[in-house]
Amino acid sequence: MHLLYVEDEKKIASFVNAGLKEHGFMVDYCDNGDDGYTRAMDNTYDAIVLDIMVPGKDGLSILKTLRQARRNTPVILLTARNELDDRLEGLNLGADDYIAKPFFVEELVARIHAVVRRSDGDRQNLLGVGLLKLDCLLRKVIYEDREVELTTREFNLLEYLMRSPGRVFTRTQILEHVWGYDFNPSTNVVDVCIQRLRKKLDPSDALGWVESVRGVGYRFRSPEPEL
Amino acid sequence: MKLRSFRVRIALILVLLTGSALVGFGAMSGWLLYNAKMSRLDEVMKIQLLRTARAQQRDRWLAYEELLPRIFGVEAETPTAFLIQDAATGAVVYQSRQWPADLDLAPLWPPPPPPTKTASPTQTPSTASRLLPRSKLKFSDPRLVTRQTTATTWRVGAATFSRSRVAIAISLRAIDSEMAAIRSTFLLSIITILLLIAGAAWILSGRALRPIRQLTQAIRQVTVKGLDQRVPVGDADLEFAALIQVFNQMLENLDRSFHHASRFSADAAHELKTPLAILQGELEQAIHKADRGSALQQHLSSLLDEVRRLSGIVRKLLLLSLADAGRMNLHLIRVNVSELLLQMLEDIELLDPSLTVEAQIAPDQWVLGDHDLLAQALHNLITNAVKYNLPSGWIKLDVFHSQAKVFVTVTNASKSILPEDRDLIFDRFHRGDAARTRHIEGTGLGLSLAREIVRAHHGDIALMPTPLGQVSLKLSLPLSNRN
Repeated sequence: MHLLYVEDEKKIASFVNAGLKEHGFMVDYCDNGDDGYTRAMDNTYDAIVLDIMVPGKDGLSILKTLRQARRNTPVILLTARNELDDRLEGLNLGADDYIAKPFFVEELVARIHAVVRRSDGDRQNLLGVGLLKLDCLLRKVIYEDREVELTTREFNLLEYLMRSPGRVFTRTQILEHVWGYDFNPSTNVVDVCIQRLRKKLDPSDALGWVESVRGVGYRFRSPEPEL
Repeated sequence: MKLRSFRVRIALILVLLTGSALVGFGAMSGWLLYNAKMSRLDEVMKIQLLRTARAQQRDRWLAYEELLPRIFGVEAETPTAFLIQDAATGAVVYQSRQWPADLDLAPLWPPPPPPTKTASPTQTPSTASRLLPRSKLKFSDPRLVTRQTTATTWRVGAATFSRSRVAIAISLRAIDSEMAAIRSTFLLSIITILLLIAGAAWILSGRALRPIRQLTQAIRQVTVKGLDQRVPVGDADLEFAALIQVFNQMLENLDRSFHHASRFSADAAHELKTPLAILQGELEQAIHKADRGSALQQHLSSLLDEVRRLSGIVRKLLLLSLADAGRMNLHLIRVNVSELLLQMLEDIELLDPSLTVEAQIAPDQWVLGDHDLLAQALHNLITNAVKYNLPSGWIKLDVFHSQAKVFVTVTNASKSILPEDRDLIFDRFHRGDAARTRHIEGTGLGLSLAREIVRAHHGDIALMPTPLGQVSLKLSLPLSNRN
């Protein structure tokens, strides 16, 4: 997938760029609004990640001119200032999503997938690892041709882990993605939910779809077992 | 007792002042008038006493009796009378018909006149008696007194001549009725004048206060609309223009400091969030690079938790400061409160599986609100109920609507809140006694933030009275009808 990323804070840009590339995105990065605007108008991207506070043309006006030019590329706004105002304005101007700083790169990745999926239907609808299949639109889980009943939280959790098999997610990352940032990081909600999910997917837990990483978090089993 | 209304006070003071002045003036002139009438009566009386002494014939006396009221210049019905006695014997020579029998004249007439000059008559107690110069008259000095009989009050004049003693009496009813008429006219006019003055004072003070009323109205508008409003000076009177200018100046200062405060918190939040974002991003990357399950990875992961906690606090403080500045801008959409809570029910079970949950959630209760913020407010209420619960306790959730409002009550088993703590639970950084003794995690910002969010939605959260051993919070939001 081809992304445009506009951000002036070098340090943030460096790990976001690294993270996005790790997830297989092709990232076009620029550190000011004017360049960002030119590139957004000249090229076609699958999604655009825009920091609101950038030198030159700011994120909101880039978004505005894009939408006025009838460009419907999905846009995710990054904001550090007055979150409520930025979000309100951004959503009114036609942003597809927003993330408040500080954020997790994993979260950004999940949001990018979500907006792209929303903008052009079926490409990322189906996730499958082995016999486990996830339909993100119908929100159905099928394992060995039998449907597994999951609650909203359990489904979101599984989807989040399954998007990056083999990648370790900390409890906090999972908590933030599935429950939002209001939860206290020291609750054990994630562990309880993971246990239930394991039982539902595979009562004997012989396959170990979701692996624990001691003291850190969880990850979905890699498609290619590390032998 | 103090009258709070300035207008009423002004009117009352004016009425009291003019009233007492008028009454004093009236009493004074009434007294002078009465005295003048009395002395005129007395003058006539003296002349008549002399005349009666000259008139000796009985038939003349009869006519004189008829004439007496006219002589005194009073109405014919006014009782008048006269009496003539023989000076030597005291026998009645003539007594007019109206002569009051119970009128005691003894002190008026001195005892049979001894020829000596030294025998001056004893002074009667009457204050009205007057003495004429003795030398000019051949008869003893006429004496004038006021006497009370059963029927009426009399002014009696008496004189002793060489051969006879004469007394004339006239009822004071004449003067009294005249005075009464004057008094009532006077009273009536005083009352009318006072009423007029009170009315005028009321109207005048009202006119004087009109700029104040306009100013109050303008200030009320300002408080409704916000600090950036100003009261127009316009053509206000000089005295009030100064007041308006001072008020506007105050508003401007307030506005500026509010601006500073909210700018400050926005800037502070920005300055804090950027390093937090870097810290978090670098940690995230480092965790993925570290060997899986290594001690380093575990350390980094717990550091990440702390960073997350820190950014959670920063976010809450920013929201609170926005609420304080009245700038909690809401992205309003229709939100299904019932659905939100059903989702959160699942979390209660995950947070503490030992809790018994009882929920009565009326389906499809919609409100117009900011989905994310409302979710946060509800979440704070529920996690609060979980955190402060008793071991193996219970939570009861009710969602219902009545009279265009949606109510959410969250009741849970808990140590009772101390009465002195009841007012504090919505205070920032306040943490209940249970939290301190049982080391419950939290910042003490949850409930105050929840209340600010709900208030920004024109709702409220209140602590409900409950029996011992439970705590109940009731949230209300304006209902948004389906269409």
